[in-house]
Amino acid sequence: MKAGVTRLMVSMTGLFLLLMILFMADLFIGSTRMAAADVIRALFSHGTPGDEIIVMQFRLPKALTAILAGAAMSVSGLLMQTLFRNPLAGPDVLGVSSGAGLGVALTLLALTPLFTLPEGSLLAGWGLILAAWAGAGAVMVIIMAVSARMRDIMTVLIVGLLLASAISALVSLMQYFSNETMLRTYVIWTMGNLGNISYPQIRALAIATAAGLAIAFTMVKPLNAMLMGETFSRTVGVRMQRTRIILLASASILAGSVTAFCGPLAFIGVAVPHIARLLFGTTDHRILMPATALTGAVLLLVSDLISVLPGGGHIIPVNTVTSLIGIPVVLWIILGKTGLGRRF
Amino acid sequence: MGIGGVIAETGELVVGYRNRKRIFTVMKGISLQARRGELVALIGRNGTGKSTLLRTLVGLQPPLGGKIMLDGRALHDTGSSELPRIVSYVSTEPVAVRNIRVRDVVALGRFPYTNWIGTQTVADNEAVAAALEATGMTLLAERRIDSISDGERQRTLIARSLAQDTGLLVMDEPTAFLDLPSRYGIVSLLRSLTREKGKCVIYSTHDLDTAINEADRIWLMTEDGVSDGAPEDLMLRGILASAFESPMLSFRVNDGTFSFVRSRQSTIALEGRGKAAKLTARALARCGYTTGPDARLTVKVSEGSHGQEWSVTDGMTDRRYSSLYDLVANLPDNDQSD
Repeated sequence: MKAGVTRLMVSMTGLFLLLMILFMADLFIGSTRMAAADVIRALFSHGTPGDEIIVMQFRLPKALTAILAGAAMSVSGLLMQTLFRNPLAGPDVLGVSSGAGLGVALTLLALTPLFTLPEGSLLAGWGLILAAWAGAGAVMVIIMAVSARMRDIMTVLIVGLLLASAISALVSLMQYFSNETMLRTYVIWTMGNLGNISYPQIRALAIATAAGLAIAFTMVKPLNAMLMGETFSRTVGVRMQRTRIILLASASILAGSVTAFCGPLAFIGVAVPHIARLLFGTTDHRILMPATALTGAVLLLVSDLISVLPGGGHIIPVNTVTSLIGIPVVLWIILGKTGLGRRF
Repeated sequence: MGIGGVIAETGELVVGYRNRKRIFTVMKGISLQARRGELVALIGRNGTGKSTLLRTLVGLQPPLGGKIMLDGRALHDTGSSELPRIVSYVSTEPVAVRNIRVRDVVALGRFPYTNWIGTQTVADNEAVAAALEATGMTLLAERRIDSISDGERQRTLIARSLAQDTGLLVMDEPTAFLDLPSRYGIVSLLRSLTREKGKCVIYSTHDLDTAINEADRIWLMTEDGVSDGAPEDLMLRGILASAFESPMLSFRVNDGTFSFVRSRQSTIALEGRGKAAKLTARALARCGYTTGPDARLTVKVSEGSHGQEWSVTDGMTDRRYSSLYDLVANLPDNDQSD
């Protein structure tokens, strides 16, 4: 018991320190070379206007977004994996990100031109988030209904895949009818971008993430019971209907908000919970949930650092990096010695 | 601890499934009883509704009619937070999680007693330790659930049920998929819980042998209805035999076991004594021979120079064998004999 607690404290503290170091690194390293002293001066508003713009308007929001988005997507994935009892569940795999994307596409491609709202209006912040929530929630409800009928993990994954395809077909149709500027905004959005986000948007993302995480954390006890199956959960007094709705809402809020501002971030949601389980050697959501949030934030910061490392003003889309990190983890789950569906 | 008060009782219970379109009745007129300190085995052939009855009993699905009383209270009047303190349930659902320790699984049984985040108090830890001890899982408590045997996994789930600290423990086929020693191990564990902890354990099983030999009470489900009584009561009334007998299977009342009916019967004389003779009779019976006098063939069991020996004579020729396998393999096909 004692050794376990010590190991837990060391792992948690280590992960938190790593997060801080990576956060600083993300401020100091970017596609433009800057001396460390210049970055510090810029942070405290004593730098040159050019430096200040790079640090305060680009690097700082990007690093903050990486932390928020990493934590939110990963915890959303964790909730879905336990809820659907499916180790391959995640916002992108089950089409929830696509659902959020549909909400965004409707807002960006269909509604905005109709109402010609000014830049930075409500629609660009909370409006976008609400649309993404609705889209994510709608897909979640469909997946929930399917998984209630079909116990088979593969069936649910295939339905998620089909939903994602159907949504992307719908979005293509919308793209066909939208103008060039809108189209460009949308295409850039789909690449997954942590940088194109304003402070009001970060505030909205922070509030939504905090709310989503707080709701998720109130559910750690039923989540632990759900590891033993629905029958057990019900016989120890978990009110399944209510629990499912809360978990669905929380996962939709988390994945939807991130997707609204950063685009569909690939593989973070599926992979990170498994990395956290491996790191902490536990299935207890009381530990796993904060561990997953921290690991997700760390992983997205690392992905972001890698994406700017080429230097010389080039940035590769962060989605490319998260995919390259996430896909091996997913492969490991599928090909692992205990096989798909056996590793939690 | 002797047998105590009634803890579970059903009256004219109707179980089955209901959806928007129609009602599907699985079994009706179920009137059963179970007391504290009793081991109750629910038996019946496949499809008679054992699982449906158990699920209804623990409140997982609503009854279609009749009443259920648990610990002196009607089930439908018992709140969702009170029921888990009266009855615990182990289903046939496999544990999908692999990376979880035995102790953590058992600790989940404390769910109805812990706070919102599931903090284990001293009392909770004591209950978990006691449950591990009673099921013989203390030494394996830190092992991962995927590193123990099927029998040990079943013990873990029983420990979880025990940690839930209910007077009534209901289990759906806890001995399914286990080998013979594990099956006996589980049933004797369940029996010890009734004797030492005063629990009432109701379990469904296809393992008639252990049910008849270990259970205090049998709930027998057949297509015609449900019977309730001591194993011997049901045997005496001939219900047990009629429930399971088929043209292939006959029930032996004396030792309470079933055996296959052999269509081909002929008589063979057997000479010999002791264990070897008994086993010879058994081997002959397996091959469709009854033993008795006035037979064409005679089998003699004797102690030869190289151990046990068998000789078969029909009055003219005499053949010797050194194993029962060789003996029965060389017996004439009894369809042609006689």
